[in-house]
Amino acid sequence: MSYKFEEQSKSARNAILAKLKAQVAGADYEKLPEEPTFEYAKQSREQLLENFVSLLKSNHAEVLPIKEEEIGAVVVKQLQKRKIDSLLYNPNAQYANALASSFGASSTELTLLPFDFNVNENKLNYFNDIPASITSSRWAIAETGTIVLWPTPDEPRTMSLVPPVHFVIADADTLHSNFASLVEQQNWKAQMPTNVLLISGPSKTADIQQTLAFGAHGPKELIVLLLNSQ
Amino acid sequence: MSVNQYVPDNKESKYADSARAFRQNVAKDLADEQLRSNFHGAMNYLMDKRKASFPSSDELETLRQQCKLIKQRALVKLPLLLEQLENKLHENGIQVHWAETINDANEIIAQIIESKNGKNIVKGKSMVSEETALNDYLQARNMEILESDMGEYIVQLAKEHPSHIIMPAIHQNKKQVADLFAEHVKGFEYTTDVDTLIGEGRRILRDKFSRADVGITGVNFAVAETGTICLVENEGNGQMSSAVPDLHIAITGIEKVVEFLEDIPPLLSLLTRSATGQAITTYFNMITKPRKSDEKDGPEEVHLVLLDNGRSQAFADEELRQTLQCIRCGACMNHCPVYTRIGGHAYGTVYPGPIGKIISPHQLGIEATKDLPTASSLCGACGEVCPVKIPIPQILQRLRVESVKKPTGSPKELKGTGANRKTTEALTWQVWSFIHRHPNIYAVSMWFATRLRALVPNKLGAWTRVRSAPKPAAKTLHERIKLRTEEAS
Amino acid sequence: MSELNSQHLRKYPAKPKQVYLYGTCLADVLFPDSGIDAIEFLELHGVEVIYPQGQTCCGQPAYNSGYNEEAKSVALQQIAQFPLDIPIVIISGSCGGMMRHHYPSLLKDEPGVDAFCERIFEFTEFLVHVLKIKLTDKGEPEKIALHTSCAARREMGVHITGTQLIKQLDNVELVVHQQEKECCGFGGTFAVKHGDISAAMVADKSASLVAADVVKYVSADWGCMMNINGALEYQNQSLRGQHIATYLLNRTNDKAVSNKDNADER
Repeated sequence: MSYKFEEQSKSARNAILAKLKAQVAGADYEKLPEEPTFEYAKQSREQLLENFVSLLKSNHAEVLPIKEEEIGAVVVKQLQKRKIDSLLYNPNAQYANALASSFGASSTELTLLPFDFNVNENKLNYFNDIPASITSSRWAIAETGTIVLWPTPDEPRTMSLVPPVHFVIADADTLHSNFASLVEQQNWKAQMPTNVLLISGPSKTADIQQTLAFGAHGPKELIVLLLNSQ
Repeated sequence: MSVNQYVPDNKESKYADSARAFRQNVAKDLADEQLRSNFHGAMNYLMDKRKASFPSSDELETLRQQCKLIKQRALVKLPLLLEQLENKLHENGIQVHWAETINDANEIIAQIIESKNGKNIVKGKSMVSEETALNDYLQARNMEILESDMGEYIVQLAKEHPSHIIMPAIHQNKKQVADLFAEHVKGFEYTTDVDTLIGEGRRILRDKFSRADVGITGVNFAVAETGTICLVENEGNGQMSSAVPDLHIAITGIEKVVEFLEDIPPLLSLLTRSATGQAITTYFNMITKPRKSDEKDGPEEVHLVLLDNGRSQAFADEELRQTLQCIRCGACMNHCPVYTRIGGHAYGTVYPGPIGKIISPHQLGIEATKDLPTASSLCGACGEVCPVKIPIPQILQRLRVESVKKPTGSPKELKGTGANRKTTEALTWQVWSFIHRHPNIYAVSMWFATRLRALVPNKLGAWTRVRSAPKPAAKTLHERIKLRTEEAS
Repeated sequence: MSELNSQHLRKYPAKPKQVYLYGTCLADVLFPDSGIDAIEFLELHGVEVIYPQGQTCCGQPAYNSGYNEEAKSVALQQIAQFPLDIPIVIISGSCGGMMRHHYPSLLKDEPGVDAFCERIFEFTEFLVHVLKIKLTDKGEPEKIALHTSCAARREMGVHITGTQLIKQLDNVELVVHQQEKECCGFGGTFAVKHGDISAAMVADKSASLVAADVVKYVSADWGCMMNINGALEYQNQSLRGQHIATYLLNRTNDKAVSNKDNADER
């Protein structure tokens, strides 16, 4: 693909870089000042978990500490409570079978919707007809009450964004104390995927008179199913 | 190669004239009680939130120092990092374009959209696209573009521009928003209930997202090491704009690049806490690649437009270069006694408040912005809260020097140097300086000032519009001390 | 720590026999009593005060207007007036900030500037950190407010020393007014060049001082007080500001209390 502006862009590139280079030519990068980092007090697993849960709750997420085998039953109960009749899910997920059997045993009519469609071809349905979704997560961050989503072909990036209610499974064993240590310890720089999402609550805005309202564009509700927290 | 060469258009930014009207804007907005009360309430709220989010001053000061140095490192390596970013983005499949002027940037975006035959354009929050007045440009090309950040959407309905870089519609209260909706939104049942208003916005905007084929966003950080574009937001509209349409175009200033992925966590922490007092925003979105063949969503094409628009001028001077450390948190405006009173629109510039006063001269020239650097009591509140320690008062003082000095025509001079120089004022300071470096002449002048105290007029221009005039003492301190010493001996 | 600044890492000398007083141009021509009171106060506490007659102005008005060359020659003229290696006590946080924190960059190639700047002490800073003063309150119970200029607060840390001194006065209740940290709107030529913004700022500042329901407010900066007192007088309010040197002298010296009160507030 070529654009009419390409020549212009190339010459802008050269002009900008030349101007910048002229100013910092000869800068000695070995002699840059040392950058301090703040040493945070070490916290126990319990403290980290407590912080993680309380921050998520203060950001209006619902946090349900559960056992892995309870996922299906808990999701069914939460859906029934909200009178939601279908759930978008990843049929290849570890918990998929458990979900399916709980849905089968449900007293109300509940449908599992596999994410097996291309979003481009189904945008209107996607936006209008899917009331809830469930995704996994890769890590969690205690300091900010954050869940890290690492979208894959099975769990696409918009799965946590478009349906109005989002269930996310978080594992307390993946909890890191803060974002900096997570990025460093898990060597993110060597493995950045198409998209990474840090989520810390349901979608919100305070753009009208500093009044907080939830469900601005994305999910109105974020329900965190927290494993291994006992 | 295409046949039609693009001819650049060097039309002046629309903000130049509105910045020139600073004094008229101030007079109008100061007189607007509602506006002043909206800003006053909002700024107090944001100051309290920020304060509460930094319980440890040790942590705050360490983070500020760390982030200042991260940004300074990125700046001293800027040309290399931009090249690295470009290479990495190319490797990742993201296309990179460069623009020296706002119109070049707009033209690039317009042509990309046209090449994909884009019809429904949604935009996430982007101050750089405000800087380029992208909406006007695209509308002139018959393209419909819809702002999707709630605040930006309100501002677009009102045919205004943002009055704050983080909270674009902060100048409006809920009643004003409700009135806007009543005027523009079909079927809107009047209410000032914020949940309902946001629900209405959600309904309209989600419908647009579901039909959008082009998404435009800004960039909070661009990581050279990995070729990653980062977006910070609470609403999810940035994600909607970058993940739902087939085409995603991001636009940013060249100063937004940082070197390492590991530079991001401290910057993010300071940004959100300084801006709104949040430990983190609801969403932090890191985009590294377009949709891969086995993926079911995401844009097929991703473009990044890198804009200069005066940034390289600031870069060319080590003191002014610090301006480019800015991470756009807005804390300086939240804490500024001038911004709090006149509001964001009075500045006339796209970036208001203290940071706007030091960025805008590079974008619009000193002539158009000549009233901005002096519109500060140099109280220092901005510099005190700046998360990356930009010495804003010092830079304001420097810009005052640049705006009154005699231009020499040197190519190193800032655009518009000397535009605020007035012969009478220059002469006044020369005389002032002469008197104050000659103690005898000074003593005589002060003697006259005190002896003629009865003649000091009660009206001293702007001063006495709200104050009584000060009266010289009967004798100066110099004289009184002389007498005192004589009496003692 | 955003409240603090480099001043707080400062090393202070032992109590000297002699100091210089820097009176400032505003006190010189408009409010000389505060200079005399500062001298008397220092003398009462065993410090001899030298007032060089060659001093004029620190140069801040020109500096803040962007006329650095004009400010520079005046600044150099000031330095020349203070040859002895003794502290220079300034009865203004704003001028103190100029001389201590802005001279080094304004006069960066001039010899001896750093040593000069090291000798600059704002009045309350000098009392607390160098004299380590202990005050005995001899006045009647009253409520007052403290207004600290922005330079004093952010460059000199004077809000801390000013507060410490007032807290030593047993009968004085220090009331913190609303938006206490906010600028009064003076800012030198700002008040004239952008009179309407400055007016809006001083309106709020004076209102919050009035709302604090105090008998007076004290400050170490005549720039701010000229602004705030001017506004209060214009509004027919009875509240006025007083220089902290005068206030401390009056509160701690029984002779001074009756005849000198409010002398500088015309």
